[in-house]
Amino acid sequence: MAPKKSQTKDASAAAPVVTTGTTASAVPAVSAPSKKPSSAAVAAKSSDAWSSVATNILSHYQKTTPQRTKLIDLFMAFLVVVGGLQFVYCVVAGNYPFNAFLSGFSATVGQFVLTASLRIQTTEANKADFPSVSPERAFADYVVGSLILHFFCVNFIN
Amino acid sequence: MTSLFTFLFLLFAAVAQAISSSGSRLLVVLEDVAEKTQYSKFLGDLEGRGFQVSYETPKSESLSLFHLGERSYDHILFFPTKAKGLGPNLTANLLIKFINADGNILLALSAQKQAPTAVIAALSELDIHLPSERTGLVVDHFNYDVTSAAEKHDVLLLPTPGALRPGVKDFFSPATPNGELLAVPQAIGQVLGNGELLTPVLRAPSTAYSYNPKEEAEALGDDLFAAGKQLSLVTTVQARNSARLTVLGSADMLSDQWFDAKVQKVGGKAAVATVNREFAKRVTGWTFNEIGVLRVNWIEHHLNEEGQGNQSNPKIYRIKNDVTYSISMSEYEWDHWAAFKVPASDDLQLEFSMLSPFHRLSLKPTVSSEESTTYSTNFKLPDQHGIFNFKINHKRPFFNNIEEKNTVSVRHFAHDEWPRSYAISGAWPWIAGIGATVTGWSFFVAIWLFSKPTGKGESKKTR
Repeated sequence: MAPKKSQTKDASAAAPVVTTGTTASAVPAVSAPSKKPSSAAVAAKSSDAWSSVATNILSHYQKTTPQRTKLIDLFMAFLVVVGGLQFVYCVVAGNYPFNAFLSGFSATVGQFVLTASLRIQTTEANKADFPSVSPERAFADYVVGSLILHFFCVNFIN
Repeated sequence: MTSLFTFLFLLFAAVAQAISSSGSRLLVVLEDVAEKTQYSKFLGDLEGRGFQVSYETPKSESLSLFHLGERSYDHILFFPTKAKGLGPNLTANLLIKFINADGNILLALSAQKQAPTAVIAALSELDIHLPSERTGLVVDHFNYDVTSAAEKHDVLLLPTPGALRPGVKDFFSPATPNGELLAVPQAIGQVLGNGELLTPVLRAPSTAYSYNPKEEAEALGDDLFAAGKQLSLVTTVQARNSARLTVLGSADMLSDQWFDAKVQKVGGKAAVATVNREFAKRVTGWTFNEIGVLRVNWIEHHLNEEGQGNQSNPKIYRIKNDVTYSISMSEYEWDHWAAFKVPASDDLQLEFSMLSPFHRLSLKPTVSSEESTTYSTNFKLPDQHGIFNFKINHKRPFFNNIEEKNTVSVRHFAHDEWPRSYAISGAWPWIAGIGATVTGWSFFVAIWLFSKPTGKGESKKTR
């Protein structure tokens, strides 16, 4: 519990500092040359604020996340894209043969769920929740679970 | 020499076979055996067609329709009798029992002699009604015979009846090249109920009516028994067991006198001969199972798919199998089995049913020989597994009832009978999806295993 608390504290402490910094420096740098009317300046300000929030979150993420967790996130994003494409194809082109759709789509969904579990179990912040599960153990579970999932999906698609 | 013997034997066999399809024992019930001289030509025709005729009177004590629980006769022919009843050997109950035992009955009635109570009771069980007081004479002032009934108008002259309706074979209309007519003298008309088993063969013309000559000789009463087409002069009943009963309104139609008579219709140009003899042959032929008898020779069904076994009548099929069903049928024609031809605008239908029919298909003639026609059809079994029947339920007027049922199981697809996913192009995107997931996963695992560096130290530290 201790690391979690400290993390949230860090985030809350860091946020105001960063936002003030951006309002001071980034706004004039970006909007001054391109946007002349003052009415648009408010919108530009807010959008800049949002983009600064995004870049801030991104940099924070890149700084604080371990490399393996980044790898997991990349893989999960990949699964979302593949699953989304399959779902869109099903909506557009019809679901015949339905078992193929089910197994193809549920392969991505199942893989996503398993990967999410791996991420939860290997995150440093959750260490206290899984005192008996080492990252190696979690990874071994994940591999076995994934293989079973692949077997079922390939079997079901026939 | 042997060939001569064989020829004689075959000839004998052919002659012996020239009888009804359901037995040749015919009982003729007459008031007096001597009366048979009146009907000598008619009875001679029957004997000529191979019937073994026994003559009895209702009073005869030796008369018995059943012997040790079996029918003693195959057919009965009743001529009108004077007595009010037919005695203990011919009760209504016994007559119905005779029909239930597949026996055929031809009842010839007459307006001159009252119908016996046993007959009336038996007929009312079949929903055929005779005029009250057991008498009634059909007269027609527009279709009578000028030569014999110029005064009484009670000899009706009718054209041959023709087909009952389109799609029904016409059994009872002999050819009339010279405009011959059917003479129906002193007829008693019947009124039919709504029973499905009743079929009129000859109806009175629309100008005819029935009256009671004893009570209504001077003037017609208010309550006429029946008039016009209501009156059936020749009625047939075919029970569910295909036993046949025919009521002939006029026994005189069968007499020698009317077989040979020359008749002239009122307003007709010249006297013409009667077709009574030919008509009587057809009526008796139908009643005594010489015509209108169908037989199922064999039934065969098999899988109609390439690369599959071609076993006959398998007990089990799979859903969506292509199946061929064939049935061979013959029709008895006087003395031989002939190919059965379904009348135009009628169909022989096959039902593939589980409780209710899933398919009802017309069978088409495929192979025709002299003795039989094979009807068959190809169809795809429904997408429903269970216990099904191939069912032929052919019930048509004047043909005996055909009800054939062949039960088969229909199973669902076995697990290995479905097409592979890659055989269906529609499944390819999803196969690719699985492939992408699995390859992505493999890369993920590989990278995970080879990228340990920074995290390890930290985790060790925290431990």
